[in-house]
Amino acid sequence: MAGNDKDGKTISNTVQAAVDRFGASQDELIPIMNEVNRELGFLPSEALDEISHQLRVPRSRLFSVASFYAMLSTKPRGKHVIQFCESAPCHVAGGREVWQAVMDHLNIKENETTSDGNWTLLTTSCLGICSVGPVMVVDDDIYGNVDPAQVPAILDKYR
Amino acid sequence: MPVITINNQRIEVSEGKTVLEAAHEAGITIPTLCYHKDLSPYGGCRLCLVDIEGVRLPTTSCTYPVTDGMVVQTETPRIVEARRTILELLLSTYYDRGDNANDGHKNELTDWANFYGVDLAKYSAKEPRYEFDSDPNPFVHVDMNKCILCGRCVRACAEVQGRFVWGLSERGYDSKVVAGLDQPMLEARCESCGACVAYCPTGALDNKMSIGMGKADKVVSTTCTYCGVGCTVELNVKDNHIIRVTSSPEGMVNGMRLCVKGRYGYDFVHHPDRLTKPLVRDYLLNGTKRAGGADRGKWVEVDWETALSITTKKIVELRDSFGADSIGVLSSAKCTNEENYLMQKFARQVVGTNNIDHCARLCHSSTVAGLATSFGSGAMTNSMDDITAKAESIFVIGSNTTEQHPVFGTMIRQAVLKRDVKLIVADPRKIDLTEFATLHLWIKPGTDIALINGLMYIIFEKGYEDLEFIANRTENFEEFKANVMQYTPEITAEITGVPVEQLYEAADILGTSKPCAIFWAMGITQHIVGVQNVRTCANLQMILGNVGVPGGGVNPLRGQNNVQGACDMGALPNVYPAYQAVVNDELRQKFEKAWGTPLSPTLGATVTEMIPSIAQGKIKAMYVLGENPIMSDPDTNHVRHCLEQLDFMVLQEIFPSETADYADVLLPGVTFAEKDGTFTNTERRVQLVRKAVDPIGEARDDWQITSEIAERVLAAGQRKANPEAPYAGWKYESPAQIMAEVAALAPSYSGVTYERLENGERLQWPVKGLDHPGTPILHLGQFTRGKGVFAVTQHIPPIELPDKEYPVLLSTGRVLYHWHGGEMTRRAKGLMAVYGQSLIEVNPEDAQKLGINGNRKVRVTSRRGSIEAEAWVTDRVPSGMVYANFHFPESPTNELTIAALDPIAKIPEFKVCAVKVELVKE
Repeated sequence: MAGNDKDGKTISNTVQAAVDRFGASQDELIPIMNEVNRELGFLPSEALDEISHQLRVPRSRLFSVASFYAMLSTKPRGKHVIQFCESAPCHVAGGREVWQAVMDHLNIKENETTSDGNWTLLTTSCLGICSVGPVMVVDDDIYGNVDPAQVPAILDKYR
Repeated sequence: MPVITINNQRIEVSEGKTVLEAAHEAGITIPTLCYHKDLSPYGGCRLCLVDIEGVRLPTTSCTYPVTDGMVVQTETPRIVEARRTILELLLSTYYDRGDNANDGHKNELTDWANFYGVDLAKYSAKEPRYEFDSDPNPFVHVDMNKCILCGRCVRACAEVQGRFVWGLSERGYDSKVVAGLDQPMLEARCESCGACVAYCPTGALDNKMSIGMGKADKVVSTTCTYCGVGCTVELNVKDNHIIRVTSSPEGMVNGMRLCVKGRYGYDFVHHPDRLTKPLVRDYLLNGTKRAGGADRGKWVEVDWETALSITTKKIVELRDSFGADSIGVLSSAKCTNEENYLMQKFARQVVGTNNIDHCARLCHSSTVAGLATSFGSGAMTNSMDDITAKAESIFVIGSNTTEQHPVFGTMIRQAVLKRDVKLIVADPRKIDLTEFATLHLWIKPGTDIALINGLMYIIFEKGYEDLEFIANRTENFEEFKANVMQYTPEITAEITGVPVEQLYEAADILGTSKPCAIFWAMGITQHIVGVQNVRTCANLQMILGNVGVPGGGVNPLRGQNNVQGACDMGALPNVYPAYQAVVNDELRQKFEKAWGTPLSPTLGATVTEMIPSIAQGKIKAMYVLGENPIMSDPDTNHVRHCLEQLDFMVLQEIFPSETADYADVLLPGVTFAEKDGTFTNTERRVQLVRKAVDPIGEARDDWQITSEIAERVLAAGQRKANPEAPYAGWKYESPAQIMAEVAALAPSYSGVTYERLENGERLQWPVKGLDHPGTPILHLGQFTRGKGVFAVTQHIPPIELPDKEYPVLLSTGRVLYHWHGGEMTRRAKGLMAVYGQSLIEVNPEDAQKLGINGNRKVRVTSRRGSIEAEAWVTDRVPSGMVYANFHFPESPTNELTIAALDPIAKIPEFKVCAVKVELVKE
């Protein structure tokens, strides 16, 4: 059944567009899921049902993939997603304080979404730019050398 | 062949084996957890690590193929140390609150931990991480605290059952096994077959009905009582109760596979409704007259002597006053070969009539008649394992295989998945098997002849026919072909609703992916043209040369566990055992000599004739064994009206069935679990049934009851048997002795003995002698009748199609979770928990027109009756058609069906009648 996402596009249309773009092949499973996740913000069960139907892949396999990769989510995420590096170099460079500041500012913990649906807070492994740690990623934007005091200003850009 | 050395032992191994397999073959044990020989190697648990010379690190033997000259050590100090560490790590997330592995097999994790001296108490997790019994599935107990992520359940569901319910989710420490999209199992499309339980090494998945039941006193290997696949089941018995059913790799037909009914539908055996004492109506004891109509008076419990003498007196009285043909006998496809043999012997020798029939009339009588005419014998030609291993294409027409022959359904799925077999499904519904089909021909009900004739037209047009086979092995070809050439693709598409392109696609598959095996069931047989349908299937396989070859054949899937055997035993009005015609003088004399009485030379009545002829005063009394015509026969209201008028009915049953309302004497028989005997499965394989529990209450073996009645009737009546005749008597010591009598009289069973079956021999009839190995494939080189004969068949529409007044087409059948009239499965708790009421399948478009939102009650009415049931809105059925099952007496679907019969086989047209559907205002 066709549900609607926030822009009024149906979920099945979104899946169809991704399948058309990459081809209805099991080899293209991850690009398709990634694209749908990007469009809808997460992978709702209706989307997985539709992908399952189109690619003839069992739903259990789709769920395995969707729950394995951090870039994919089976639960709704906020409008903006913060990924905070939890690896050692960022940690020793003051990451713990920044992390606390983000949590305090948004009033949520790891893997939670704010009640207004604007923010989801995740951790990520090393992003490979340890030289500018602590590092956080907001949507597709990378912020290095973050200081706890900068947090409100960074997040305000996305209001 | 490569030669390798394991633990200093030289071993010759066949190419392509893994180190683990080579070691096992040589009798060297390597510990495993994630490995199972039925499943693809995974290499996940790491327990099977070995040292291989020249390989730097310990290597998983389950995934490493052997090469010539390889030197392997399986128990070096570093390997043993590695295994201990692996077991400690596995135990660190393992928490057992003490449910034990109830599937009856050992806990492989704790066994290996003990073997390697790993302290369970020290290393096991101290806290549970997951909810216990976390899934509502009534059959499978889920306790992920005991899961070691070996993935055997995931692979079993995919590679054995073909359902893909289980998957591995998340990563690292959070990894866990989940169903579907982390849903309850049933919502993730679980079929509750229990394969995951059977393959689980720790009891993380377990049999819910058996939790806390403990260890069995004994495990009895026997044959399942449900469908004609004939799976081996192990009944685990404690204190005379079945506490669980398990499968084993030794299963003759099924291996470890079972379906939900076979594994979990056993509790009916101990249901409180079981008949435990003989019952008679009070009028028979008072000497008063029976009240009129449906009211036969009160039931009174009596001893066996009273019940048997009343039965004898009534049968003798009515037979001697109205003649032998006033008695009708219904045997049972649920009962053993031995019991069926005795029922027909009773009708023919003791009573003197050929009025003997059973429910094969309602399922495959058209197959038996059709194939007997085309080929000379009417049974499935090939074996299930032969087809799944060797067919290049499979054509399923009118068989909902995954629901009605579930274990064979899984074999078809695996043939598609593993061997890429081309599967064509022709069905008016989008049945589950269509998911695996290369092509689903969504035909209009009752257009099978047109479809197959149309496919043959294209086969001829494209030159796909096997000219040599046609020339050497068949007759009547020219006339047949001329008829087929009327079915042009356009005409065929018009009649069947299948687009022309799909007809060509199907014909191409049939013509190029050979051999093709064709399968059918009730979708072909239950039509007024049932026999012609069957003959058309035979025609198709003959022009393609697909008969008498491995991986091909014509394969009717027989429904009941022993419907093949009941037919073989001659529980039919026209034939003695092994299809020896009663109208053939020579054969009749053979049986007269054997049984020591003159026998009736006239054909008996079929069940579909017997019951209506009660109303005409022809049938006065009936002896019914385990049949329930009120639920199973068409036009129930008329069946009731007829049975009301019967002077006397003795019913031998395990439950007070719906038909028991019309019985005068009710005799308690026993279930499959309480008896010895044999069943013959759909592929003509004779298999042992072994007693696992003692009869409940005063119930007796059915063969003993029939023998008792027979002896008494012979003693009391005027009809006597010559005591000199070799098989005149009824004093049987055991079912084995009855089988010896069958073997003496039925040529196709002449080599069947209990000794051979006990030895595990695979005996598929004809078994022509004690040294004959049986016949896995029929018609090799020659047809039973010599040449196969082509039939000229024409499309004839079903007798009652939708019209203005009754605008919807009703088709009927069964569902996965229930069996036939439902007497057993409605008394199985778990099956009722999953499917507890009748559901009528309604297409979403029609549902919208009717105003059904979600599940709502509908009334379905035909010219004969009306029923109410919940609607299941689903696109399995096309618009304009509804589908109903006949399992539930609250919604007796056969009140709607039409008793229109095939003129030859007398099978009713259960598959098509016209109805109207209304929403019931609540």
